[in-house]
Amino acid sequence: MDHTVIETSGLRFAYGDIVALDGVDLHVPSGLTGLVGANGAGKTTLIKLLLGILSPAAGTAAVLGHPVPRAALEIRSRVGYMPEGPCLPPDQTAADFVGYSAELAGMSTRVARQRASDVLALVGLHEERFRPIGSFSTGMLQRTKLAQAIVHDPDLVLLDEPTAGLDPEGRDEMLGLVTRLEDFGIDALVSSHVLTDIEHTCSWVVMLDGGRVLRSGPLSELETSSEVEVELLDDPAPFAAALERAGATVVVEGRSVVVRHSEGDPFALVRDALVACDAGVRRLGSRRTSLEDIFLAKDGDAGEGGS
Amino acid sequence: MTDGGVVFDLGYRPHEGPRQGRMAVAWAVIRDGLRRVLGLRRRARRKVMPWGLISIALLPVLFFVAIGVVIGELAEDAELFGHAQYFDLTGAIALVFIALAGAELLVPDREHGTLAVYASRPLTTTDYLGARTAALAILVLGFLYIPHIVLYLGEAWVSSEGFGSYLGGHLDDLWQTAVASLAYFAAFAPIGMVVASVASRPAVAAGTLIGVVTISGPASAGLVDSGIDLGGLLALQHHPGVVKDWVMDANTHRWIPERAGMDPIVSLVVVGLVAAASAWFVLWRYRRLT
Repeated sequence: MDHTVIETSGLRFAYGDIVALDGVDLHVPSGLTGLVGANGAGKTTLIKLLLGILSPAAGTAAVLGHPVPRAALEIRSRVGYMPEGPCLPPDQTAADFVGYSAELAGMSTRVARQRASDVLALVGLHEERFRPIGSFSTGMLQRTKLAQAIVHDPDLVLLDEPTAGLDPEGRDEMLGLVTRLEDFGIDALVSSHVLTDIEHTCSWVVMLDGGRVLRSGPLSELETSSEVEVELLDDPAPFAAALERAGATVVVEGRSVVVRHSEGDPFALVRDALVACDAGVRRLGSRRTSLEDIFLAKDGDAGEGGS
Repeated sequence: MTDGGVVFDLGYRPHEGPRQGRMAVAWAVIRDGLRRVLGLRRRARRKVMPWGLISIALLPVLFFVAIGVVIGELAEDAELFGHAQYFDLTGAIALVFIALAGAELLVPDREHGTLAVYASRPLTTTDYLGARTAALAILVLGFLYIPHIVLYLGEAWVSSEGFGSYLGGHLDDLWQTAVASLAYFAAFAPIGMVVASVASRPAVAAGTLIGVVTISGPASAGLVDSGIDLGGLLALQHHPGVVKDWVMDANTHRWIPERAGMDPIVSLVVVGLVAAASAWFVLWRYRRLT
């Protein structure tokens, strides 16, 4: 986390009356960052604003230190973009199109051809590079889209739903490629509505919901919680009752008991309750919060607030 | 000689070399346009139409000149092979060529979503459209002008004045045919770009342009013949012919605008206005798209 690659302040954009982004404040460091949110959360709009394709109605944004949309061309020469939708001409070979994509970023024809060959080999399309793109499978199309996004050696790449339409094996391979980007010295903003994809690849996460930032920070911090989860060998009811008598708030899920709130050290409370009940423990530890939990908690809060 | 090869995985190599500016990027778009229209690095069937039309435009004059060179003189009674008259052939085929080329330059990028890639690269909408138009201009001007170069050189070859004297003495033929070629390009290409900017398929764009321009002739003639002289303005197919005859001081046809009593300058203004309006529309359309 040495430098900031994306910074926004009060960013707002609307399609007519429909507000897509509102008051988005972001600080994204180098490395792999996940941009998660449901469909319509504003992920693609944010990416288009960062590329200078759209102009914000209010607020400011900077990518790699350059302001958008004023320095859009400078940004685009150092940024790659993998669109969510189709973007490949079916009548061209992968080598021709990826090479052309490099030329579009200012590389000479000779260098562009060499880099196209190298990058297509990196994404696993070395043998197929002279085949027309129209004959490619979905997985090969996604790899070609990634190749055109990194062929000009960008400092930052914006990946919009890179695993869309892939089967589980293709998804794993694509996520493996995305993970390797950091080794290549390329920072990445990976947009996805599949939360586990982000959990497996990214170290920083930005969560969008309804055009606003729900959470933003290191994934390790978001995943850490003060809750303790205990899985018992036997009926957890006596153990849960002992915890409640000691002042803790608990939730029983099958044979597991989650200690959500307690006075003092929750582990000490659990130890004392286990001794008091003489209960056998299968598993004990801090509860890991998933991105899905955070989204579900948000929905729960909204539901409670609305009732 | 070695007994076996070794494969080295070079991994990812960062680019340390220079990055060229917008002009180089625009030139890349132009070269892509030329390759795309001519079907280069595409399957054989993509080459049939463009090269077929180029052959139709070029082969007659090549044969005519080749026969003239063999027998030592060009047939003077072959009326098709005057510079002004040869536009009757190439002007009509140029409409088909422009329709196909314009559609091929704009429609697939939208149809296949490739505009998203252009939008993420360091070029503006104006750069993209300018480069596509430049590619179309190179192709169409070449299509219309090269036959006249062949004819000019052939005439010089068999001329009794001598090759060098003929070339120097007939330079008017060169600039007049160049301006006439430009008139045909300016009359048809902008409308072709307008149609291609809204059509969903290349074939639809090409068919629409050919249909609109072709129908404009009879429709305009009908209005002029029924006493509505302003109908002569609608003769899209005839305006470049009027300008061509004006520039070349020829009288190859009784063009519809002439039948409506319009001076050649009117045709030139119509071509210019239609081109300007078309350029504005295409730019507006693409700024909305991107």
